Amino acid sequence: MKFVKIDEKQWAEGIGKLKSGYRVFGPVKEGKDHEFRELTGDASPDMAFSNTRLSPKSVVYPQSEVMFEYTTDESRPDHHILKEPRRDDTPRAVIGIRPCDALSFLLVRRNFDSPEYKDPYWLRNYEATTFVGYGCNDPCATCFCTSAGSAPHDTQGLDALVVDRDGGYAAKAITEKGEALMKAAGWTDAMDEAEAEALFADRAAAAEKKITRQVATDKLAEKPSMDLYDAPFWEDVAFSCINCGTCTYLCPTCWCFDIQDECRGCEGVRTRNWDSCMAPLFTAHGSGHNPRGEKVQRVRQRFMHKLKYYVDKYGEGIQCVGCGRCVRSCPVNIDIRKVCDMMNAYDPEAANDCACPTT
Amino acid sequence: MREYTDKIRQIARRLLEEGKVDRVIGFKKGSMPMMNEPCVIRRPQDADQLIWDGNCGINLANYLTGAKDKVGVVAKGCDSRNIVTHIIENKLDRDNVVVIGVPCQAMIDKRKIAAAVDGEISEVTETDDGKVVVRGNGFEKTFDRAETLQDNCAICVHRNPVICDEPVADPVPEQTDVDRYADIRAIDAMSDAERKAFFDDMFAECIRCYACRNACPLCYCPTCFVDESRPQWVGKGQDENDIRTFHFLRAYHCAGRCTDCGACERACPVGIKMRVLTRKLEKDCKELYGWEAGMSVDQRPPLDAYKPNDPDAFIK
Amino acid sequence: MGLEPGRLHFSWISSAESTKFARVAQEVTEAVKALGPNRHFLKEKAKVA
Ligand code: SF4
Ligand code: SF4
Ligand code: SF4
Ligand code: SF4
Repeated sequence: MKFVKIDEKQWAEGIGKLKSGYRVFGPVKEGKDHEFRELTGDASPDMAFSNTRLSPKSVVYPQSEVMFEYTTDESRPDHHILKEPRRDDTPRAVIGIRPCDALSFLLVRRNFDSPEYKDPYWLRNYEATTFVGYGCNDPCATCFCTSAGSAPHDTQGLDALVVDRDGGYAAKAITEKGEALMKAAGWTDAMDEAEAEALFADRAAAAEKKITRQVATDKLAEKPSMDLYDAPFWEDVAFSCINCGTCTYLCPTCWCFDIQDECRGCEGVRTRNWDSCMAPLFTAHGSGHNPRGEKVQRVRQRFMHKLKYYVDKYGEGIQCVGCGRCVRSCPVNIDIRKVCDMMNAYDPEAANDCACPTT
Repeated sequence: MREYTDKIRQIARRLLEEGKVDRVIGFKKGSMPMMNEPCVIRRPQDADQLIWDGNCGINLANYLTGAKDKVGVVAKGCDSRNIVTHIIENKLDRDNVVVIGVPCQAMIDKRKIAAAVDGEISEVTETDDGKVVVRGNGFEKTFDRAETLQDNCAICVHRNPVICDEPVADPVPEQTDVDRYADIRAIDAMSDAERKAFFDDMFAECIRCYACRNACPLCYCPTCFVDESRPQWVGKGQDENDIRTFHFLRAYHCAGRCTDCGACERACPVGIKMRVLTRKLEKDCKELYGWEAGMSVDQRPPLDAYKPNDPDAFIK
Repeated sequence: MGLEPGRLHFSWISSAESTKFARVAQEVTEAVKALGPNRHFLKEKAKVA
């Protein structure tokens, strides 16, 4: 049972059935935009969305998460002992994740699950999650997934992929996890393999044709880091940035966090919260020194990390999946597509007569 | 708007050629519909990058904080009042700034327009007869420009720059019969419980990215109280009390200083309408002290000057 | 902000007005006690996912 067809009724019933075994997350309309939220009660995913305003990274990597709790009350036997809070390890299912966002989890995994270090918080959540993708039919003008290693119907990082079909959906199981989820949902109405292959291929090709913007990344790896670092365009790229961090909070592939303690009386928790390389405090040392004290250094860091350091460190392409969220939501219209093209085309020899001031 | 653009370019070019300024801060065309990007021009031949239209809502005074060189800046009514505030607060020397004053025709609200059409917008154009034409995949819709304005612009009563060295056009008529505080009065009239519910709802989606703060020219503290961790004034997570504390305190820090330029709401990625907080304080400043922020470089703001006749009925 | 009226008091007391200080402190204590424990703007423990 690799391919199944799901009519509207089976779809709705399936979502309901899943809730007995999974915490189900899906797109929900809030105001004009969609967000991934846990679907409780009889909430169902609203599949009429292009993509959500925030990425679904919070399903695995919440904006704020308790690492452990403690008490300093010496009358308690467990005082000064760090205890893990009770966790909800129920399997999670993300319904309707877009292929770009699904790929982002593989990118982020290189950071949280490496030979040297395994992040228990991220990994446990990740491993508990089944990703059910939803192929895009109408990519946005800001989408450039095909330049970032993904595509509107790409299956990397997915356990199952759902596409539109007359009167409902067709679904393809990609991993065992995906197959198990489809079974649990009762989506078992097998589809003719040849017919299904053709449907998936047609949809994929039609959507890919609608991606209008390509971004060049082919020369990033071969450029010396210091050339790019010293390039004269950073001052101009960074000028308008207000260092708000919107781009990093919305981005599915930004993973940085900050650790803080919060206590009330003798009871305390240690939490970790999303952080952003755009914030001056991000790199402030205890000594007062800040190696990235200037805005231009922070903006350069964000783009160099995504488009150069990551490329060099892992050799698996850029740390961006082309979802276009940062392009859409930056209040001052800083556009990673332009910056990437600029970096990719940069030639220090030819830059001598550049109009931009040198840093 | 074409005339505005031409005139801005002309002024910028001249100022740079004559060496009156080292750089000019303005807007260049963005890569998205209804988006322009703040930019800096350093050479006369680059002045043609500058543009003007209804998408210049970011407050450029934000880019002047602490400037020590000679700067030309394109400024609409609200920006000019924030420049005045910068001067009063010693963040900027009046002699260092050349204000290229734009009599403002109000800014259009990209969210309002996006909400009024179905589907993705590919192009938005403003016509000379006061219309906004929105095109996208398979649709074209025309709006009266007046219906598409940012909330703050719709009730703005100071569209003409209050200080201006290089006027871009003749002054525009100011709006007179606008009620700036209808919504504030409605909130004032709520019961405690209703008001709490109102704010709970208002901030529910805040992700604490601080775009609102960072877009604001008033928020120039080297370390904001929310970022401080020794002492930790406010928790850093997503607790609703912490989120609310951030917003209320930020609003208080803007009391008597906010010009209602709307940059905060414009920048917010999730569309939170935090201007009700700053406008409540604006209303109080007006009613208690007859004060409007940024109107003159010669007057001290009410919160940094004591007068024996300051109202004190709330003190027992 | 959703704080009840009566929880916040302002008073202008000179260092010479010790009796006024005592009286105001008493009044404030009584007024706040009458309102009962504060329930708004109160963070029990960091609420996180
Ligand atoms: S969203 Fe834009 S302005 Fe904000 S930090 Fe990112 S690049 Fe800078
Ligand atoms: S950098 Fe921008 S386009 Fe790339 S994954 Fe992040 S938000 Fe999406
Ligand atoms: S607030 Fe007034 S001056 Fe400022 S952009 Fe709006 S209409 Fe123009
Ligand atoms: S910009 Fe919006 S989401 Fe960000 S902190 Fe301000 S209100 Fe919250």
